[in-house]
Amino acid sequence: MRTRINYLQIGVTAALVLLTAHGAGTRTLRAIGTSSEAREDTSGAATLSGIVKLEGSQPVATRINMAADPACLKMHSAPVMSEEVATGTNGALKDAIVYISDGLGNRTFDPPTEPVVFEQKGCTYNPHILGMRARQTLKVANSDPTTHNIHPAPQNNREWNLSQPPGSSPIEESFAREEIIPVKCNVHPWMKGYIAVFKHPYFAITSKDGTFDLRNVPPGEYTIETWHEKYGVLTQKVTLETNQTRTLEFVFKR
Amino acid sequence: MKHNRMRAHFAGILVLLFAGVGQVTFAQESHIGGLTGEASRGKKLYRRYCVGCHGPLGDGRGENAPWIDPKPRDFVTGTFKCRSTPTGALPTDEDLYKSVTRGFVNSNMPSWLPLTRQQRADLVAYVKTFSSSFREEKPPSPLSMPSESAANQQSIQSGNELYQKMNCWSCHGKEGRGDGPSAQTLVDNRGYPIPPYDFSVGTRFKCGESNQDLYRILMTGLDGTPMPSFANGLTPAQAWDVVHYIRTLQMNVKRKKQTAENEKKDGGESKPVGAQPE
Amino acid sequence: MLLRLRAAVIFILVLGVVLSVRQPAHAIPAFARKYDLPCSACHEAWPKLNDFGIAFRDRGYQLGNEKDSPIWQNPSYWPITFRITPEWHRESSSNQVVDTVPGNPALGQTYQDVTTHGFDFSGLDIWAAGTLYKDISFSVLPSADSSGSFHFENVFVRFDNLFRTRWLNLKLGKFELDNLVSEKRMLFLSSNGGFYQVYHYTPFREVQFRASNPPIVQFNPVFGIGDNQLGVELSGHSENSYARYSVALLSSNEGSPGLPNRTYDGWASFNQGFAVGKLGVQRVGAFAFFGQRPTFFNTSFGSPVLSEGLGNKSLYRAGLTGLFYIKKVDFSTVFVHGWDNVFLGTGTAANAPLPVGARGPTWNGGFVETHFTYSPQLVFVQRNEIVRMSRQVFRTDPRDLGDIDAFSFGLRYYPFMFSRAGLALHTEYSLVRSYKSASPLPTSTSPFGPDLRSSSVFIGLDFAF
Repeated sequence: MRTRINYLQIGVTAALVLLTAHGAGTRTLRAIGTSSEAREDTSGAATLSGIVKLEGSQPVATRINMAADPACLKMHSAPVMSEEVATGTNGALKDAIVYISDGLGNRTFDPPTEPVVFEQKGCTYNPHILGMRARQTLKVANSDPTTHNIHPAPQNNREWNLSQPPGSSPIEESFAREEIIPVKCNVHPWMKGYIAVFKHPYFAITSKDGTFDLRNVPPGEYTIETWHEKYGVLTQKVTLETNQTRTLEFVFKR
Repeated sequence: MKHNRMRAHFAGILVLLFAGVGQVTFAQESHIGGLTGEASRGKKLYRRYCVGCHGPLGDGRGENAPWIDPKPRDFVTGTFKCRSTPTGALPTDEDLYKSVTRGFVNSNMPSWLPLTRQQRADLVAYVKTFSSSFREEKPPSPLSMPSESAANQQSIQSGNELYQKMNCWSCHGKEGRGDGPSAQTLVDNRGYPIPPYDFSVGTRFKCGESNQDLYRILMTGLDGTPMPSFANGLTPAQAWDVVHYIRTLQMNVKRKKQTAENEKKDGGESKPVGAQPE
Repeated sequence: MLLRLRAAVIFILVLGVVLSVRQPAHAIPAFARKYDLPCSACHEAWPKLNDFGIAFRDRGYQLGNEKDSPIWQNPSYWPITFRITPEWHRESSSNQVVDTVPGNPALGQTYQDVTTHGFDFSGLDIWAAGTLYKDISFSVLPSADSSGSFHFENVFVRFDNLFRTRWLNLKLGKFELDNLVSEKRMLFLSSNGGFYQVYHYTPFREVQFRASNPPIVQFNPVFGIGDNQLGVELSGHSENSYARYSVALLSSNEGSPGLPNRTYDGWASFNQGFAVGKLGVQRVGAFAFFGQRPTFFNTSFGSPVLSEGLGNKSLYRAGLTGLFYIKKVDFSTVFVHGWDNVFLGTGTAANAPLPVGARGPTWNGGFVETHFTYSPQLVFVQRNEIVRMSRQVFRTDPRDLGDIDAFSFGLRYYPFMFSRAGLALHTEYSLVRSYKSASPLPTSTSPFGPDLRSSSVFIGLDFAF
């Protein structure tokens, strides 16, 4: 008799444990960034800044031919150059993404309530590379007098593809999971951009001078990655002490 | 005593196992009208009929995939061309059922109409198990479709203007011959070249042959291909205008006969799905 | 003895090697490679068709996905399939009349079982079939017996979807009569089990009469449902091929080329499938055949002028068919009723007097064939078949003269299942009992002998590519 009770008890306990675990699993999935200790507690936070460079001969930007759509062609008096590789002085590399790829542990972060805007202007994307947070609202605007289709090609998020005629209100969308997503317009094949989605706020996109700035980083050991659409990924490990300010340099070699 | 404890352990593991199985199975059904498809039965059918192209893992990498163009669908991504739901959303069970039933023209996917409705429903249930999306999300309700407006000259004229304005011609060409300036650049979501539809040839459309199907293609887009959804840019009335205009581009299709057959098809196969259970 | 043992060992070794080497073959069976579908897509268990395979065949070897016409195929595509079966088999017959002392017939005869066994191979099928154009299909099947002498098992061209309706398809040539249960696609191969008794049945008396008067009757058996016939067929089917019909006008010469016979036979079959919930498609059908056969020939200086048969007398067959699926188990059932005119039944020329009291023989027969498809790669098969005479030629004949009981079982194992080739390990046992059909001993006063039992054991490798 005793054994039978044991038998039942353990069985039921196991089932309960399992159900709870399952429940917890779904909760984490649903709610990326509901609690946010790191965000509230910024005292003692460190800062990480630096520069991304391209070493070697500087590439020459290719010219984009917009002749296929006269509406696009008319908007530009000067030749339009590809934004794939843009460099500043001393090899400073524009449009590289610097971000924490590992080390934040189980911290979760609320997405900001304000939307980010990805604009189609002059038959190019503005910005060329957009950084945003998972589940943050993305507004896609068309400021051109022609119809675009906005077509992100994600691997981990759901793919969608929407046509947007001139003068229509912005499309509102969001992405659930972290990923750097190529975006294109099939109507205008030269249009290429990227939307980088992060589940945390520690990312930056380098400006024309190649610099980046990650603020309010909680102390800890991190893996920092730099991604560039043409040159790939560079990785560095860094340990941040309380209130420390550190600089890093990433160098892509051609 | 020790023995008993071991038995208890064993029982616990058993319960764990069963609970685990229960967890997996809840998402393994499909509902098509009054039919309930079950993945366990669908798996056997899949192994018999589908595995050669779509592969044992449902990733579209079956043994025949290298020789097939267009490539077999990768079910793992959860991206499907023919849907009644908005772009980026999962298809409904009915959408998948219709695809299995209809097959895809100009591809290696045949119509599986000779299989019973139950078998096709079972296949849909199994195909859904390949993508985690079907466990995490529910497909939204289908786009509403107002009844078709009259295909008069005015509607066709308006459709023509929209065809120009919405840049349909960039891919499909000014005369709908699939020769627009961007046509050569198009690739699908796996990087394979994909030609835009050539209306002048007048073969069946991928996601059905009726005007309703054409409306749906226009408003939901064909996910995984360069064809976008126009749900944002076109009002339903405008969409019907585009449908009417597009029909005029199909020069090699005998209009009357085709529509007659379409109606029969819709009435014959898809309607009873919801209306009359097995 | 030692030799036999060694042979067995070698056979098992070879079998082991063949079964363990599962490398993809480089050659491709005709349709599987055209459409990139695994064998199991069209075959419940190759060569038996499933619902999808039936629909594919009914559409004229077309899937309807606009890749059917050969213009869409790679130019190197060549729609040919080979099929042959290396095998070991054992044949045994009871109640054979043999000399009591071999080589000395004068010392009298006795009944004895005769058994032979050994390695062998089947005939070769070289089957080309496919589409010539959209809605025009063809089939050519040169088939050799195991000595290599060829005949044409089938040759036809088919026009599909006449007047744009799937209910009108026209076929011309030599072809299998359309019936729900195909003997050409059966899952039995042995010499006793490899055909349906009811599809070829000829009453024992009729066989005896024919044997005693060979120049009169050219065709023996008179008619076989399972024999491919020369003619023209009009057929049709619903979109999912659940409803199907076929009517055919045939030359009355059992498909032998070069021998037009000046009379024609008619064939009609219809069948309907019903999707029954989770069980699958259940099909029922009926068929009928009516024809005439000559009873004598014009002669020239005494020798028969072939192909000019005279005194045509009629015969008919009618029956019911059914295919029933219960999950993994399915049943193929056939019932046949047959009648031959008394002149045919007694082998009498129509211009000669009939034996006194003779009547046209009638009989009923049927079988239930059961398949347990464990998976597309393993199928167990079994068949029970009986034929019962309902009217003997003479009232005085024993009621069960020429009746048949047949029983077969076996399994087919397909070590791989893909769209490039087919291989099956086929094992089978068959037993046929023909009532009072053994030859009587010379000393016997009865014109009939005891029952004849023949059995086959068959182990072979049936392959196609």
